[in-house]
Amino acid sequence: MSFALSKPGRFIGALTADLKTIAYRLAAAMVICVILTFASDAFLTTNNLLNVLRQASLLFLLASGLTLVILTAGLDLSVGANIGLSACIAASVMKLSGSALLGAASGVGVGMCIGVANGLLVALMRMPPFIATYGMLWVVHGITFWYMAGTTIYGFPSAFRALGSGYFLGVPIPVYLMFVFLTLGAFFAQRTTYGQEIYAIGANRESARLSGVPIARRLILVYTVSGAMAGLASLVFLARMNSAEGDIGEAFTLPAIAAVLIGGTSLFGGVGTVSGTLVGALILTLVLNGMNLLTLDASWQPLVTGVIVILAVFLDTLTRKRAEARK
Amino acid sequence: MHKKIIPAALCLMLSCSAQADGEKIAVFTKNLTNPLFASIRAGADNAAKQMNATTQHYVPTKPDSIPEQMSAIEDVVVKKPDAIVFIPVDSKAMVPGVNKINAANIPVVNINDRAAGGKFVSFIGGDDYELGLATARFLLKTMGGKGNVVIIEGVKGASTNQDRIRGFKKALEESAGVKLLATQTGNYQRLQALQVMENLMQTFPQIDGVLSANDAMATGVIEALAAANRKALVIGVNGTGIDEVKQGKLLATGDYAGFQQGCLGAMAAIRHLRKLPVPAELLFPPILITQANVASFEVPMDKRVCPKWEEIVKK
Repeated sequence: MSFALSKPGRFIGALTADLKTIAYRLAAAMVICVILTFASDAFLTTNNLLNVLRQASLLFLLASGLTLVILTAGLDLSVGANIGLSACIAASVMKLSGSALLGAASGVGVGMCIGVANGLLVALMRMPPFIATYGMLWVVHGITFWYMAGTTIYGFPSAFRALGSGYFLGVPIPVYLMFVFLTLGAFFAQRTTYGQEIYAIGANRESARLSGVPIARRLILVYTVSGAMAGLASLVFLARMNSAEGDIGEAFTLPAIAAVLIGGTSLFGGVGTVSGTLVGALILTLVLNGMNLLTLDASWQPLVTGVIVILAVFLDTLTRKRAEARK
Repeated sequence: MHKKIIPAALCLMLSCSAQADGEKIAVFTKNLTNPLFASIRAGADNAAKQMNATTQHYVPTKPDSIPEQMSAIEDVVVKKPDAIVFIPVDSKAMVPGVNKINAANIPVVNINDRAAGGKFVSFIGGDDYELGLATARFLLKTMGGKGNVVIIEGVKGASTNQDRIRGFKKALEESAGVKLLATQTGNYQRLQALQVMENLMQTFPQIDGVLSANDAMATGVIEALAAANRKALVIGVNGTGIDEVKQGKLLATGDYAGFQQGCLGAMAAIRHLRKLPVPAELLFPPILITQANVASFEVPMDKRVCPKWEEIVKK
């Protein structure tokens, strides 16, 4: 692959800017941690920290695939609906066949198919990603509601449930999954030609096309990965909750997008990292954890969440604005 | 001469059939996802079938969507069914919609969630306060009147949640030996309730009872407890966690009697059309589903049969 960016110097500049962004977001997460350490005795304990990581893992798995989509200046609004359908199909396959493996495969398979459909709409039909995936959200919700008709499927084999609620060497299994996909995602985005091409598409689609990047194929790839990750996240959900119903996906879409953006990825594409998304997911999880530990009155929780999310990115955008003014 | 007779005869035939049978009843529910509304729809269908009427269901595709229910009302006002059985997706925001139905002179029965305004033939529903109170009392009695509890709330601001929590707290007031450690919101969602419970267990080493504002959240709490190897008595509301009650994981659930609400809503609408008496208000007393009586609630929805009107509505 003879792909090269026109200005290597700018590429290195972009990387350090990414590192700076992660450093700022990580600092924001640390500030939250320090405050919570002083405010609650229960916060800085091994148990609670593992608890936070386990809670963040589901959101991260979902948001990591989405990060790749947003890096191409795209968007996948169907991830939440995708979790719902994938979970319900995986659950009923598992119930009917009695095989956890078959159920898991069908969950990821359904997720991936939805992703491929998104990719085809965006890459081949040239639909704006917002509209294509917004339409897909309704199609998938519709199928799920029709399929489930208000029923609940529950009770899965314990081997499967270990995926969500099991431990290995004292650490919850979903946390391992999170770090495996963090490593894979970061390697894919930063170290492979595919990854570089994805950044290039987001940074400047026209020049990427002129440098020979197969735009359509890469777009289909990122939407497929995003769909498959939603399918995988649905398995962790199932294993953790031990039940599936039609409306489980609805609560996920915005937090997943928020985790990506809080993690420093730009909605305009070309800028961001998968590890930043992990920090974003951690910040969102820490907020809920902190409010629960401090038993903050439920009426105040939405307000506090909003203020912390804004503060978490405030410092970074402020310094960036200053830097731009100096140029 | 003939020109006048034909419409008159038609009118006669139509009004006759409207009083006998074949009435078209439009049924409005909140969403396709909550099992409660599935049982309400099943109840309405069963009642209509018993009385030789037909139902047509209007359910927002986006759960609890105000604009969708509003546009469904606009459709219905044009299609003119004989009567409407109505659950507002939002008790206050749907009042203008009810006014439109009133303006079109279609009789409407309000069930389940009381609309804040508009004219109704009748209101048929459960009382969330009584439901919360009865379920919480059962938990506190089983705990022997002592121990630590937490409350997992539903959506802050939803009237069902406010009333249930009021019921929970009233029961706690009566039981001085029980300490309320925290009230946190799970927004009526399974996963959030699971996470909230995981977090609360970090702060509180001893939780003996959990009062959850619905059964979906209660199952989340149960999974959180099981994963942490901890034990607490859990109660929910909605009457959907029947299997959990049977397995002994859920101590009790306050039943909303959704199927019966659907039955009586449709019956009230049809009775009104047939000029039979209908009370202005009918509140179901709270029913507790516990291990003692769970078997009678296990009949699948399509096998259930509506009770006779006279069994429920005493003169």
